[in-house]
Amino acid sequence: MEERWRSWYWLVMIVLAVQIVIYLFITNSFQ
Amino acid sequence: MNSIDWFILFTTLILIVVYGTWKSRGSVNIDGYLLGNKSLPWWNVCLSIMATQASAITFLSTPGQAYEDGMRFLQFYFGLPLAMVILSITAVPLYHRLKVYTAYEYLETRFDLKTRSLAALFFLMLRGLSVGITIYAPALILSAILDWNINLTTIFIGSLVMIYTVSGGTKAVSMTQKYQLTIIMMGMIIAGLTAFYKLPNDITFTEAFQVAGEMGKLNLINLSFDLSDRYNIWSGLIGGLFLFLSYFGADQSQVGRYLGGKSVSESRLGLLFNGLLKVPMQFVILYIGILVFVFYQFYQAPVFHNQSLKGKAMQTEFAAAITSLETEYDNLFVKKKKAAENLIGAIRKDDRALIDQSRESMEAIQNTEKGIRSQVKEKISAAIPGANTLDKDYVFITFVMTYLPHGLIGLLLAVVFSAAMASTSSELNALASTTTVDIYKRSVNANGNEYHYVKASKWFTAGWAVFGMLFASIANQAENLIQFVNIIGSIFYGTLLGIFLSAFYLKYIKSNAIFIAGIVAEAVIVYCYFFTKVAFLLYNIIGCLVVVALGFIIQFVENKIIKKASR
Repeated sequence: MEERWRSWYWLVMIVLAVQIVIYLFITNSFQ
Repeated sequence: MNSIDWFILFTTLILIVVYGTWKSRGSVNIDGYLLGNKSLPWWNVCLSIMATQASAITFLSTPGQAYEDGMRFLQFYFGLPLAMVILSITAVPLYHRLKVYTAYEYLETRFDLKTRSLAALFFLMLRGLSVGITIYAPALILSAILDWNINLTTIFIGSLVMIYTVSGGTKAVSMTQKYQLTIIMMGMIIAGLTAFYKLPNDITFTEAFQVAGEMGKLNLINLSFDLSDRYNIWSGLIGGLFLFLSYFGADQSQVGRYLGGKSVSESRLGLLFNGLLKVPMQFVILYIGILVFVFYQFYQAPVFHNQSLKGKAMQTEFAAAITSLETEYDNLFVKKKKAAENLIGAIRKDDRALIDQSRESMEAIQNTEKGIRSQVKEKISAAIPGANTLDKDYVFITFVMTYLPHGLIGLLLAVVFSAAMASTSSELNALASTTTVDIYKRSVNANGNEYHYVKASKWFTAGWAVFGMLFASIANQAENLIQFVNIIGSIFYGTLLGIFLSAFYLKYIKSNAIFIAGIVAEAVIVYCYFFTKVAFLLYNIIGCLVVVALGFIIQFVENKIIKKASR
């Protein structure tokens, strides 16, 4: 890490997408 | 509150102040005072960013919001991780390469002095006013809970922050924030677990979750498209993206946090981890509110959560009416508890028809409860004209004061004070940095030495702290003022974001065009505020788009004029 980031950016966006899918599943299971 | 609680509260606060002052002593140059010598590792950058964004009201109000309204508020944060990625790509390497102290300094490199001064002025206006509310909002609630004078509570919080922020600058801010956020998250999780463990013995975590779901509290995602309503996924992703781009990219309170990172990599990782952790953290805080909601299905909830205000109303001729409503509310609880037990039984049998039947009976009781509560609020309003009867900010703290064991009450109050101090310290530090670097050193006195500017920064920090406390005491007299300051970010952020996005990406637009576009866009937003009903979340998008579009048009016209003149 001196003074490849693409995988970090993808990680952040994939984690967000996975969360949204889980939240969507929870929401739909109570409708 | 007993002596153990007071001891824990004051020991925590004193330790934070002493630690911050001691660890950051000896900053003799401006690099040390305003950037902490760029020594922060990524995890400290991340904790600082999170502690700055989460003010005391986040921890007081968010559980109350979930209690009343379910978890749909979570969607508001979906744009944040995307903003972190965009800023990691653009702003972080640029700010580091140019070795700037503030975000606005970069604007002079890209445009000119007047654009830099305009952006710095916008920031000083929005943050200078809102720092008062950052102190005032928790002080109002704490003064009601602890029966303190509101102005003294404001001065108490402001003075604690001032001690270490003035003496140690940025280093003191980030040093204390890592412990403040640790105390905050520890306290919040303990409060949530307490709510769960106090549920009747045999109720499991899954069953509590299902009760919340059946009662409509797990409304996490709304797919309908309406940008004027902040509680749907598109508002979160689009409106939230614009809001968080401006907050993290153009607001020195946050830019100052990641400018203190050791290197581009450390700052970037700090932002990206904030993007990974922020939504789950908000989920946890909202879920604590849900656990309190489930808890109150089995234990008597207060008819009005701001006990202090209700106490005052009980001193008037409305006392009898309020007492009678309260009795009605208490009697209803017996039915509610029975219905909740039936719902748990139905969930265990996995009998869908029985679950629906129990849920309908609970919903009917809940509606009756709401009716009684709104009547109580009317009585309190009549008893104390002008009183704010919105009590959701008091739900969580009243639960803490009533049901947590002694010791933990002190810890949770330390959480609220710590959160207020953590966000206030960042804001004061950013206001002082911008005043010193962008205004004083650039346009007033450019010939001072390092020692002179450190001293000036300290005076500016103290000055803004005093201004914040004074503003808070004025805000106490004017509810409208508080509402205005709460949305003041939206009034300036769109324009600031438009200026910065043009600086990053639109090389075509030059200094005169962006300066005029910035002023016109701000006028458009002020017009929207006073004369239209446009949703505040849209201000960020409108302001940004007006700056960019107008910047292009003015630049095009300017180029034409120059071309004509040179013929």
